[in-house]
Amino acid sequence: MHHLDPDRLVLLALSDEPGLDESDHLDGCAACRHDLAALRDVAGIGAELQDLRDLPAPPEHVWSAIESEIAGPARRRRPRRLVPAMAAAVAAVVAVAGAVAFFRAPAEQVVARATLTPLATVPAGAGGSVRVLADGQMRIEVRNLPLTTGFHEVWLIDPDDLTRMVALGNLGDRPDEVLPVPAGVDMNRYSLVDVSDEPHDGDATHSGRSLLRGTLTS
Amino acid sequence: MDSDDELASRLRGGDERALRAAYDRHGAAVFYLAQRLLGNRADAEDVTQLTFVAAWTGRDGYDPQRGTMLGWLLGIARRKAVDRMRSAARDDRVTETVRAHLVPPDGRETPERVVDRLVVADEMGRLPEEQRRTLELAFFDDLTHHQIAAVTGLPLGTVKSHIRRGMANLRRRWEVDGAPSGSRSVGPTRAL
Repeated sequence: MHHLDPDRLVLLALSDEPGLDESDHLDGCAACRHDLAALRDVAGIGAELQDLRDLPAPPEHVWSAIESEIAGPARRRRPRRLVPAMAAAVAAVVAVAGAVAFFRAPAEQVVARATLTPLATVPAGAGGSVRVLADGQMRIEVRNLPLTTGFHEVWLIDPDDLTRMVALGNLGDRPDEVLPVPAGVDMNRYSLVDVSDEPHDGDATHSGRSLLRGTLTS
Repeated sequence: MDSDDELASRLRGGDERALRAAYDRHGAAVFYLAQRLLGNRADAEDVTQLTFVAAWTGRDGYDPQRGTMLGWLLGIARRKAVDRMRSAARDDRVTETVRAHLVPPDGRETPERVVDRLVVADEMGRLPEEQRRTLELAFFDDLTHHQIAAVTGLPLGTVKSHIRRGMANLRRRWEVDGAPSGSRSVGPTRAL
């Protein structure tokens, strides 16, 4: 007994009606029946594919949320103390800052700014803005942050390695806050501003629950 | 473009950029599946997020020998979508079972069908250009082999072999990666 020709099976699956002798063969041959059924299924699925070309990507905030989630556990490696090199840099800059302060540099000169947008899990009305001034102060304004039983903390994160971050301080009840950026922190590297929800659990590392994020640009 | 193998090994090595690459490649399919299953965009975004986070934490569990990365991700997405429906059902004090949600009473598509479409569409995208184009004419425009030969200017024999090989490729992929289905037997396949 000859099986049906593979090209013929494909044609039968796509459109053609089997002839009489082909029907007879199919009646008696489980292998050809099986192949034909599978090819018909594939052809049926194939006919539905037109709408699936160029599917829209999910909105970008979905990725931001994924990024912040996967960085969560790894963040528990935040160093408790500044590494010596950074401490030395801080000391040096503090000395320079003392000298500069004498000349009263224009405090309102903005060296970098960021717009903070809510992550996927946060109500869309939340947001904020950040300005970093020439004197190393960060002015941060936030609005509509979700209520928390803990507190909100501000971080600078390295977007290329989300385990690297610097804690800047907490937000109080006011909608705006001024936080000092530790001198020596390279804001070109730590360019991602992050506001997180931190529980009062005595753990100084990032909780992994980011609420707002934005990238500093000069 | 990295193969699934390369992507998998980078992922296992803890390379976050590999997850981003997987997201760029398959995020739209995961999002589409979630939207189809859940019917609302906000839940679909959540499930997309949960899927890739779970893919990251469960990255050691992906074995490229057992299926493609897309198939693996869609499997996770289905489970996450079902979890979401369960909790929605709990929240709403709805007494229907999740199964009732999963088999739409009005004859709409099942999750299995959506997954089937996504994996076959992905395989279409991997076919050689001429093979894919020929198949599209057969599927979407319902053209016969002769008409396809006339439209494309390809010899009839070439059209036949493109369609036969293309169908065989789609079928193989569907049998490996399609949604599990009780009625489908993955019996011995004759070489086409």
